[in-house]
Amino acid sequence: MEHCIHTKGLNYFFSKKEQVLHDIHLHVPEGSIYGFLGPNGAGKTTTLRLLLGLLRQQSGDIHIFGQPFKPNRQSILGRIGSLIESPSLYSHLTARENLMIWQKVYQCPKNRIEAVLRLTGIADTGEKKTGQFSLGMKQRLGIAVALLHAPRLLILDEPTNGLDPGGIVEMRELLRQINQESGITIVISSHLLSEIEKLVTDVGIIHRGKMQFEGPLDELMRVRRSHSSLVIETGAPYKALALAQQTCGEARLINGKINLPHQDKTTIAALNHQFVMADIPVYQITGKEDDLESIFMQMTATTPTQNPLL
Amino acid sequence: MIHSIQSEWLKTRRSLASWLVVIGGLFIPLIFLYDRLRHFSTMAENNAKPGIWTYYFKQCWQYMSILLLPLGIILTVSLITQIEYRNNTWKQVHTTPQRLSTIFLAKLVVILTMLLQFFLIFNGGIWLIVALPSVFGTVDYPSAPIPLDTFGEFNHRFLVGSLPIVGLQYLLSLHFRNFMVPLGVGLAIFVATIIGLKWEYGYLIPYSYLSYFFMNNTQHLLDQGINIYYCALGYFAVFTGLAWLSYRYQRSKN
Repeated sequence: MEHCIHTKGLNYFFSKKEQVLHDIHLHVPEGSIYGFLGPNGAGKTTTLRLLLGLLRQQSGDIHIFGQPFKPNRQSILGRIGSLIESPSLYSHLTARENLMIWQKVYQCPKNRIEAVLRLTGIADTGEKKTGQFSLGMKQRLGIAVALLHAPRLLILDEPTNGLDPGGIVEMRELLRQINQESGITIVISSHLLSEIEKLVTDVGIIHRGKMQFEGPLDELMRVRRSHSSLVIETGAPYKALALAQQTCGEARLINGKINLPHQDKTTIAALNHQFVMADIPVYQITGKEDDLESIFMQMTATTPTQNPLL
Repeated sequence: MIHSIQSEWLKTRRSLASWLVVIGGLFIPLIFLYDRLRHFSTMAENNAKPGIWTYYFKQCWQYMSILLLPLGIILTVSLITQIEYRNNTWKQVHTTPQRLSTIFLAKLVVILTMLLQFFLIFNGGIWLIVALPSVFGTVDYPSAPIPLDTFGEFNHRFLVGSLPIVGLQYLLSLHFRNFMVPLGVGLAIFVATIIGLKWEYGYLIPYSYLSYFFMNNTQHLLDQGINIYYCALGYFAVFTGLAWLSYRYQRSKN
């Protein structure tokens, strides 16, 4: 598979005693929307800053578009759009004037200014200075700046910070649209999995400077399914528990309901049949899946060696 | 490079620094113009004097070179350079496909261009003091020609005398995120300059050259083999070099 970003053995020290990144291996597939997740202080921003050359590389390799970053810094940066933390805007200038500054640097066509303003929904801000913009408008303009030169890769660090729920949904739609229409690879960092799980195709989870998981979202979903359980509510819980333990081995009684690990459909049907045959009234059989948020919490709550999911 | 300069120039639009250049350039000439209009009765007589241009030129530069120009440069260079810190835009600048040297030079070129802009506005203001009443036909235009050679030479010296201030303020403003540091250090050196002018080694103070050039008392230094023209250029080169090293080897590009 083609990787838009490929890092190997990235380490970063703020001081001799403070190592913030440990052996980071990233593989961002071309054309994907890659969710880079981790709690606050996990090392997301440091990693993204290294990818953009904002921090001096101390060890490891960074390859972007198949080229090593350091010797090709300028040509690579010319194809990347970024929004790191808060949007970078000149508050005494209008949205158009802000974009003109970057249009000069990137030497892209002037009509791109109107195009990205329309795309991000801030074309009617007129002579209003960006210092008077709401946070949502600033974020949109930050995205517009990142998109101005039609980049192949978009790196967005917590772009939904400070947005209201409506703004978050709009931002998600905008990014999906950009990805689908232009095929731009998007790396988006967040500390909230729920916020981006509907958007991303691939996921990397980082905690305390170490990668905890990396792979397609489907793989994370498989992890979720493997951690799902079956809950059965019956009229005779103890009798039913004994039967369930005979059939499935591991079964527990929690709040008067039988809890079993994930079972296939045939086993569920057979178990139900046994209950009926034993005159045990069955009121409800439900599958209970851990949501991605709780898997994320489990991953980031333990060290890798203790992590049962890895 | 030219696109980087254009981009940097756009950032100064409507900025406080750009207003400061215009207002600072016209401030003293407008005061003298007001003074001339107040004494309207003597205007025709004065306009006929052969030294009318030099008189106002020296009067204006007296206040400008010793007091307002150093302060203006300290403030303007700090404001221009700190645009990126103030707006938290360094990180965006550093993720554009520009060499660090291009960014560094483009900013410096914009600052020097603004300094030239100031000189043009100030000299234009001096011309207005003498010429404006004539333009409206109330008095005759001075018969004496503008001594362009003398004006050019003085402007040239003042420009060179400004360079060490530009260099050090650029270094400080690039290095320190806090706006108060370049401003505070600049003001401290400015005060030290005023006190230190009487000191025999006053020429070592990098902000002193504007005053030396205005007072035109550099002969005794020349006799000792000290050319403050080259001192000013030397300081500018050293400060700019240090500014580049500080910028180039900054650990984090914000």
